[in-house]
Amino acid sequence: MKSAWLRIALSAVVCAAAMGGAARQASGQEFPVALRTLKNGMKVLVQSDHNIPNVALYIFYRVGSRNERPGTTGLSHFFEHMMFNGAKKYGPGELDKAMEANGGANNAYTSQNVTVYQEWFPHSALPLIFDIEADRMQNLNFDPQKIESERQVVASERRLSVDNDNGGLLDEQLWATAFIAHTYQWPVIGWMSDIQHWTIDDLKHHFEMGYSPSNATMVVVGDVTPEEVFQLCEKTIEPIPAHAPPPPVTTVEPPQQGERRLIVHKEAELPLLMIGYHVPQTNHADFYATNVLRTILFQGESSRMYQRLVDKDQIALDVSSAVQPAFDPTLAIIVAQPKQGADPKKCEKDIYEELERAKTTPITDQELEKAKNIRLMEFYHQMRTINGRANTIGTYEVFAGGYEKLFDAAKSYAAVTKEDVQRVAKAYFGVNNRTVATLIPENPDQAKQ
Amino acid sequence: MRMRRPSICSLLLAFLSALSAAAGSQAQSIHLPPHEKVVFKNGLTVLLLEKRGVPIVNFVALVKTGAAADPVGEEGLASVTAELLRKGTKERSAQQFAADLDFTGGSFDADAAADYSSISGEFLNKDLSKGLELYSDALLHPVFPQAEVDKLLAQSLDAVRAAKDDARSVLASYFNGYLFNGVGYGRTADGDEVSLKRIRRDAIMTFYQTNYAPGNTILAVAGDFQSAEMKKKLEDIFGSWPSKPVTATKIPAVPPVKGKRLLLVDKPDATQTYFAIGNVGTAVGDPDRVAIRLVNTVLGGRFTSLLNEALRVESGLSYGAASNFDSHKMAGPFGIYSFTKNESTAQAIDVALQVLQKLHKQGITTEELASAKSYVKGQFPPSLETSKQLAELIAVHEFFGLDDREVNELEARIDAVTPAVAQQAIQKHFPSENLVFMLIGKASEIAPTVKKYSEKQDTRAISAPGFWPAPAEK
Repeated sequence: MKSAWLRIALSAVVCAAAMGGAARQASGQEFPVALRTLKNGMKVLVQSDHNIPNVALYIFYRVGSRNERPGTTGLSHFFEHMMFNGAKKYGPGELDKAMEANGGANNAYTSQNVTVYQEWFPHSALPLIFDIEADRMQNLNFDPQKIESERQVVASERRLSVDNDNGGLLDEQLWATAFIAHTYQWPVIGWMSDIQHWTIDDLKHHFEMGYSPSNATMVVVGDVTPEEVFQLCEKTIEPIPAHAPPPPVTTVEPPQQGERRLIVHKEAELPLLMIGYHVPQTNHADFYATNVLRTILFQGESSRMYQRLVDKDQIALDVSSAVQPAFDPTLAIIVAQPKQGADPKKCEKDIYEELERAKTTPITDQELEKAKNIRLMEFYHQMRTINGRANTIGTYEVFAGGYEKLFDAAKSYAAVTKEDVQRVAKAYFGVNNRTVATLIPENPDQAKQ
Repeated sequence: MRMRRPSICSLLLAFLSALSAAAGSQAQSIHLPPHEKVVFKNGLTVLLLEKRGVPIVNFVALVKTGAAADPVGEEGLASVTAELLRKGTKERSAQQFAADLDFTGGSFDADAAADYSSISGEFLNKDLSKGLELYSDALLHPVFPQAEVDKLLAQSLDAVRAAKDDARSVLASYFNGYLFNGVGYGRTADGDEVSLKRIRRDAIMTFYQTNYAPGNTILAVAGDFQSAEMKKKLEDIFGSWPSKPVTATKIPAVPPVKGKRLLLVDKPDATQTYFAIGNVGTAVGDPDRVAIRLVNTVLGGRFTSLLNEALRVESGLSYGAASNFDSHKMAGPFGIYSFTKNESTAQAIDVALQVLQKLHKQGITTEELASAKSYVKGQFPPSLETSKQLAELIAVHEFFGLDDREVNELEARIDAVTPAVAQQAIQKHFPSENLVFMLIGKASEIAPTVKKYSEKQDTRAISAPGFWPAPAEK
């Protein structure tokens, strides 16, 4: 329970690690994916699985905080909330009420890159779900009163996950420092002053920009047939006209040419350390080698970093790394939780030494094999639930350049060599490419001891 | 990544068993897959459930002694004992165990809740022999090296400190401590800054030797295997585990708190107040459990619950609000959980109390009950989807003395809950006037506004060691 909390607390980032399975070809053949592109441009992927009488439905919109501008940061995430606050047929509150009364539940998430709507329901609710989705995809209603009330909900969410959460706070500062040009520099939830100031027109503009069916991908997995899903799509979704997708994000982050450091002073029991390195986007050829490197360095109690910082030197409680699926070059983030009294700089030193070792000496065959086994298990974790499959198929489709890449992942991982791992360690984990964020407790507490 | 709504675990990081995650069934009626129970000669209860799909096998052992058996002043002992199982065995050092385990891609986790200790393992079926060897090595042959004991205790201590940096993660520790006044489920399973320093290797060895015994253990295995073959393997490995008598832990039955009391935990840097309101709830096997679950679904168990509607949807006071009955052998806590910015602390608590009063005065509507029934039935099947979930479920059923009817007859039991039955459950199990309040927030700003809730008020600094009451002198 302790460590589970730590992982949750340290990273909103970790949850996004949907990518990175190693697949057996057989798994793909057991559950073939049916694909149809609707006339309005929306792609629909369906995978039948009758293990349980339920369905997981995901809609990925290719719009996130990277499509925002200063002054209205956090708008994508706020908009995600507004998608539940009433359209033409289902007024404010009615969407959730109808869904839950029919045995369904929903949620949604927003990242820098995408906004994703999730629904989990018994097969019997399938027509209702499409009715709801079609309603809000074309007839969203912007009620000024709901906007004001939801603004406060998001402010509360920000207090929860950033202002009163050391990991969230430091993570926000890290991105804001590591990126000076590209739009990854601001938080997905938005700056508090932006949350308080965006307008109804900003919301309308955002809907126009991001919510064209041609900008969306739907994934349906579970107790359905492709035919019934495609029929419902033809009836409800296909008539919704496409419009122009979001303008391309053209700003390219210039190469970082020297280490950046930042400090947050805050009342806290323990310090916290995060180090970000610029790495390529998800569909880059080095994706798999970088994952293998991170697995060897960070995953499990036998990993090099755990063995060094937690077990041998005993200066950290936990050390981990995460990379989010991303359209543009992003950050690989290392998080270390120093123990009380341990100098975060000592944690840094250990981490850098282990990175150097990965650059100068090849990893062992045993480590390479281990990394592949760990990735295989992760793949099965994603594949064992209809929810995991819907998210993973969608994530590969949207970020990796095609859902079928999911079933090639085993081959892609098998192709990674020790030399590849050494090469990516050298290419991306250098001193000039890093941003170091440290949270320093302001009040070394006297109540201790 | 930002979620639209908090999961229950971000509202409340209490222990939620497989049971509390689910209850209900689906139109086409969900049944547990067939499974088999065998009791070995040495008393070990073995449960086997075959499930195809992904090539994974899950093991869950429940040792029927948990944190409730920790000696007073040594809270955390059961948890530390469980966590140390993999940190050195007769065959392997902690480092070797980690290396062997990670090489398979498998996992091993062990921890203690109040009622029991749980030890779980997960392996690909291609590595089943190796996995079983590792799993049993930790469970049967731990040696608790002093160096590893020292390391783990130091880490646990820092984990308590780190948890206090996030109010959410210690909300349950303070609330349960205050509600049960440090008795039974009011004691922290993870230990605190004082108790962890008192734990010695001798005590860990004694805890293990006293309580880890085949007659005191349920071993559930679920996943991709052949039962006959698995049974033989388990017999070979666990059949020679020497039996010995174990005294069952007595957990005191605590009656609900009469009147009101309020604990304010001062966290001077907080910009948001995190609060819990409740009283002693019910035991997991309570005969009214299905009615309670349906009513709680309406009150605080889903997005359109009365609490979330009032505190989030209608007022924007909070990102989320929920209510929950913890699943324990004896009556555990019932709580309403939410948070709001400092300035609206009293307003939010008022709204939560109004919702609770309204539940008592007006009950729930026929429509709300029907909706809750559909919701619980519809959301139930995904809780039985994986071999991990199934292994945990059948193990926990066995421990609590429940059986397959919990799943197989759930739909019928749900259908049998009439408005009158729901009304009785409200009056009997949901507190109304007798309430315990626990708030974590910036005392200098919120203390005056929360005086009105209770004549009895207690305060405590979050930086002070322990939770509630202050750790005992020893």
